[in-house]
Amino acid sequence: MAVADPIARLVKELARLPGIGEKTAQRLAFHVLEAGPGYAQALSEAITGVVRDVHLCSRCQTLTDRDPCPICADPQRDARVVCVVEGVPDLLALERTHEYRGRYHVLHGSLSPLDGVGPGDLKIRELLVRLEEQPADEIVIATNPDVEGEATALYLAKLLKPLGLKVTRIAQGVPMGGDLEYADQVTLARALAGRREI
Amino acid sequence: MRLAELQLQDFRNVEQAQLTLSPRTTVLAGENGQGKTNLLEAVYLLATLRPLRASRLAELVRFGATRARVEAAADGPGGLRRLAVEVADGTRQAYLDGKPIERLDDYFQGLAAVCFSPDDLLLVKSGPELRRRFLDRAAWSRWPAVLAEARDYLRALRARNAALRTESREVEESFRGPLLRTAARLLRRRHDLLEELAPRVARAFAEISGPGAPPAGLRYRPASGMPMAGTEEELAARLGEILALRLERDREKGYTSAGPHMDDLSLSLGDRGARTFASQGQQRALVLALKIAEIDNLTAVLGRPPLLLLDDVSSELDPAKNRYLLEYLARLPGQAILTTTDRHLLEPAAGPGALFYEVVRGRFTHRE
Repeated sequence: MAVADPIARLVKELARLPGIGEKTAQRLAFHVLEAGPGYAQALSEAITGVVRDVHLCSRCQTLTDRDPCPICADPQRDARVVCVVEGVPDLLALERTHEYRGRYHVLHGSLSPLDGVGPGDLKIRELLVRLEEQPADEIVIATNPDVEGEATALYLAKLLKPLGLKVTRIAQGVPMGGDLEYADQVTLARALAGRREI
Repeated sequence: MRLAELQLQDFRNVEQAQLTLSPRTTVLAGENGQGKTNLLEAVYLLATLRPLRASRLAELVRFGATRARVEAAADGPGGLRRLAVEVADGTRQAYLDGKPIERLDDYFQGLAAVCFSPDDLLLVKSGPELRRRFLDRAAWSRWPAVLAEARDYLRALRARNAALRTESREVEESFRGPLLRTAARLLRRRHDLLEELAPRVARAFAEISGPGAPPAGLRYRPASGMPMAGTEEELAARLGEILALRLERDREKGYTSAGPHMDDLSLSLGDRGARTFASQGQQRALVLALKIAEIDNLTAVLGRPPLLLLDDVSSELDPAKNRYLLEYLARLPGQAILTTTDRHLLEPAAGPGALFYEVVRGRFTHRE
């Protein structure tokens, strides 16, 4: 079946998105066509807008359309505590808890020599510059509990401790409030080995 | 877990097969290259969701087909369930009663399977890699978490090796942390496993070899010579000191020169190393003792024997050892699938309820 060129073009672009195969792309393209010009206009403006208006916050490196970002600009947030995360989704997850009242710093990745990602590829220099301009007392390292996240945490600790900062790492183990039955075997094995008297 | 009503589709050279498995012993007899081992491989995959040999999953799919499928009725808590695994596009997916599942141990207790093949007979004489693989597979059957723990260690090792080749000393040092933590865990596992296996191996070896034989011993031997006593933290600290001493050389080579990936399992007869001094007969007795110790240990832990897969082992053993093995199997109240080129070799193990199949070019025919 021959498809009109503009449809084929849209299908091609949609199919470049992660998780979108050729068939899904085709279904989405027909959906856009059927939804009419209003929707197409809104969608294309949203897509252009996101690239035009979103950039990195000059302080914490999160994605924002304002500079500084709302968290960095909020005088209620404690600037003396900075939580370092690998990515923006991690920041959002921590924010959803409403528990943390400090500021953030987004690294945009973790050290990974296998993928050729070194310290220069992460927002570490930006962290040091920022701490010089706006001193903090405590750095909470909330990188992922995998090999790369662990190494990144150790790297940062070694870098930051000589500056007289208190460096902490978020705790790991069996999720609280979650069911034990859903914890993976390694976590459970570690939790059993590290048991404590109550 | 016992398996029944086995079905294969496009698995290696088997286009389509359907056979009833005995709750005790099933014997597959046929010439070499007819598909006996393929069936064992299929059962192992179904029972563990892991390939038996270190082959790529894609090789399990019959040439010309796009998808391989193995299916059986499996009895778990709550009765018979349909367990299936499909291999396509280099990945596998398991199904329980038609629903996709990720892990078997969520549903079945004691799903461990132990395979014994002629390759295992090289265990004593071969290089350390085969013995490390034996240790890790046995440790994983014993403690399911070992699979992920060994994977974590491998990932940390690869990352640290890559870091050794970069300019930054600080990055390398940062990756030493997770490397030491995961290494200590794996060392502890292997050491604990050997503590459990050693007395069982000694007993089985003495029984197989008869009076006057030297005592069989096994010990974990770290390539670095470090002592294995102490807590995981102490092991990590000890290995850390060794890696610090070797740092310059390791940086030059771009490779971590100490750790579980370099270690060995040391087998001895009396005060002599079995690798150098064991006769051909003693080597085979030792391997047989190792396998029996593994089965005994799992039986003690699981409360019943693991699923046993024996691939043409009898033809490689002398009559006395073969008799010992078959009598051992006949006593074991578990499920076993055995292959042979000569079914008469295996008849002593068969016992009541045994089923015999003849295998020709990927077809399985029931024989009385």
